[in-house]
Amino acid sequence: MNSKKVYYCEDSLEGIFSAVYDAWSDRNGHANNKICIISGEDLGDMELFTEYIYVKNSEEKIGKVMKAIYNKISEEAYELVCGASCSCDITRGDAIYRFLIIGFSMGSGVVDCLYDKNVMKIFELNRNVSNEAHHFKGFLRFQELKEGILFAKIAPKNDIVRLLAPHFSDRLSQENFIIYDESRNTAIIHRMADQWFYTNADLLDLEKIKEMTEKEQNIDNLWKAFFNSVSIKERENKGLQRNNLPLRFRGNMPEFR
Amino acid sequence: MSIIIQEDMTVQKKLEVLSDAAKYDVACTSSGVDRSGGGSSGIGNSVACGICHTFSADGRCISLLKILMTNECIFDCKYCFNRASNDVLRATFTPEEICSLTIEFYRRNYIEGLFLSSGVLKTPDHTMELMCKTLRMLREVYQFNGYIHCKAVPGADPVLVEMTGWYADRMSVNLELPTADSLRMLAPNKTRKNILRPMKQIQIGRIENKGKAAFNRLPFIEEESALVLPDNYKNNIAAPASVLQDVQDIIAADSIKSSFGVIKAPSINRGFVPAGQSTQMIIGATPESDYQIMSVAEALYQKFDLKRVFYSAYISINEDNSLPAVNQGPPLLREHRLYQADWLLRFYGFQAAELLSESRPNFNVLMDPKCNWAIGHLEQFPVEVNKADYYTLLRVPGIGVKSAQRIVKARKTAILSFEDLKKMGVVLKRAIYFITCAGRMMYPVKIEENYITSMLLRVKEKLPFDMDASTAYKQLSLFDDMNFTAANAQIGSFL
Repeated sequence: MNSKKVYYCEDSLEGIFSAVYDAWSDRNGHANNKICIISGEDLGDMELFTEYIYVKNSEEKIGKVMKAIYNKISEEAYELVCGASCSCDITRGDAIYRFLIIGFSMGSGVVDCLYDKNVMKIFELNRNVSNEAHHFKGFLRFQELKEGILFAKIAPKNDIVRLLAPHFSDRLSQENFIIYDESRNTAIIHRMADQWFYTNADLLDLEKIKEMTEKEQNIDNLWKAFFNSVSIKERENKGLQRNNLPLRFRGNMPEFR
Repeated sequence: MSIIIQEDMTVQKKLEVLSDAAKYDVACTSSGVDRSGGGSSGIGNSVACGICHTFSADGRCISLLKILMTNECIFDCKYCFNRASNDVLRATFTPEEICSLTIEFYRRNYIEGLFLSSGVLKTPDHTMELMCKTLRMLREVYQFNGYIHCKAVPGADPVLVEMTGWYADRMSVNLELPTADSLRMLAPNKTRKNILRPMKQIQIGRIENKGKAAFNRLPFIEEESALVLPDNYKNNIAAPASVLQDVQDIIAADSIKSSFGVIKAPSINRGFVPAGQSTQMIIGATPESDYQIMSVAEALYQKFDLKRVFYSAYISINEDNSLPAVNQGPPLLREHRLYQADWLLRFYGFQAAELLSESRPNFNVLMDPKCNWAIGHLEQFPVEVNKADYYTLLRVPGIGVKSAQRIVKARKTAILSFEDLKKMGVVLKRAIYFITCAGRMMYPVKIEENYITSMLLRVKEKLPFDMDASTAYKQLSLFDDMNFTAANAQIGSFL
């Protein structure tokens, strides 16, 4: 009998692809394999009679898995996998693995099999990620720093800063702006009339956000004044407001400070 | 008449006055047009699905900087906060102030764009000119490429309306009230003709603009066939007799065969009103039934190609003996039912006359319009999930656009079971009484009106208000004079 194996991988699409490659080529039986993402110190509950394998990223394996999805399933499937990898669901590594097992056996038709729970799972992860990205397109707030740079701080559940970057780069192409993900310590940096890039946020001077210029204070006040007076007293409905704009978004929104 | 005008008002004070005065305008959507950013210059883009930027304490979406150009007004519409006879603080923005507010809010991602409406200052022409000047400045001087929604002032010169249309994404003319009679009663300075004319003009302008240069216009007649409904519609209007005249007015406006067509498109041509037009009407201030309201809305969708009709629950602001006394607050549940029905007209292929009739002129407050329709048409059920076409699936209570699309997609590769539907996220609470999977219902169900009605009423409906049964009853009694009691008597007996 084959033993159970758990593949631990890095928290990224590359990490998941490397683990998928190793799990696949092991010939251990897919049912006995599981892919887990290492996040922080917590490795979950260890089980007896289970082999734990730490997968190292490999450019070669990543490339092979990527190509196989493109050629043997479809571009749409590849995009779904990328979307799912941005999710905050801790089982996303294994979910992608299960989806690919079906995908490699049935080809491009896999994206129609919504009645299969592994396929539906990938669609749900994608929906969750794109819904949150859509929310932040509206709920994200920039603050203008003394230097004229627009700075936004967000704390999304899913890893979505890279999904926001094209939208804001198009919209504010003539601005210098930064979108900082405080839960992952990553950031998008956009220079006026230039391409955006994604980076670790260690070098950002976060103290700068705390200084608010007089102009900024003034616009902040104008916004709050508008926000308050545009509401209709006779229709007040905080429950509906909370459904539409959950509290977790409000921390970085000036109208709720 | 007394108008208080304060000189040297700060921008903040003006903003407070003029957003407070604009808050009763319903539409705040920023949807309908996809436009990428200006590239090497300018600021802003536009996203077709629309983006909500925040939600105010009444739970409504804020997407646009919704303000009036001015709240001074020579008109005296009875229901309006800014009517000439009201003693309120008056203010007027300069075009520069509006431009700079829009840009600064937009840069910080507070808003998706501007929604500019206005009271009528001096004359309709003068007001429209000011609004047009503002839009032009925002587009050409500030190079703003984001979303702009602008009202057309009834009675303004068509040339000004046309000029404004080249700078706006969406324009709207408020219908204000469902029928011409009500309009005469409550908005003495507005006429139905002055409202329908710019609507028609904008519609024609949009058609002419599709791929044609402004000065090389095709006569409207050539495009007409694409626009009007089959002839029999005209002879066969299924509207209640009481609004027949109003519906015919809307149809008659078709005889206006041209927009004005003298304005050259601006150098950055974003199209003529590319996001289309909308309108809104107040409900509950006048005695129209839901059937009358839906018939008017349907005629507007069909004859004017409107993107949206908005319904605004009447809020009592002014004391006036021609206005109803509303003690229980705005009729929000009724408004909600109208929006649900509006959705059925636009996305589900329903017609107003299927949902309501002369003998049942109002929606059932206890049940959404689709459930209510299905119960009255049990002979069409159950439908087989694996065979029924898309539009038939859409008519099943509990199955919406998303679920219907998923079903059509998934049944290509398998015969679906109830288990499969659940896994696909199709909510079955209501649907189980109306569908079969591979010939079987989920449970043995009697297809019988009383039984299904009582089962459906047990499914708790998600309402957008903190509304419990007791508020629903309050609303119910509010509608009593509109024959709701009779319509609901049968259903009430099952509660």
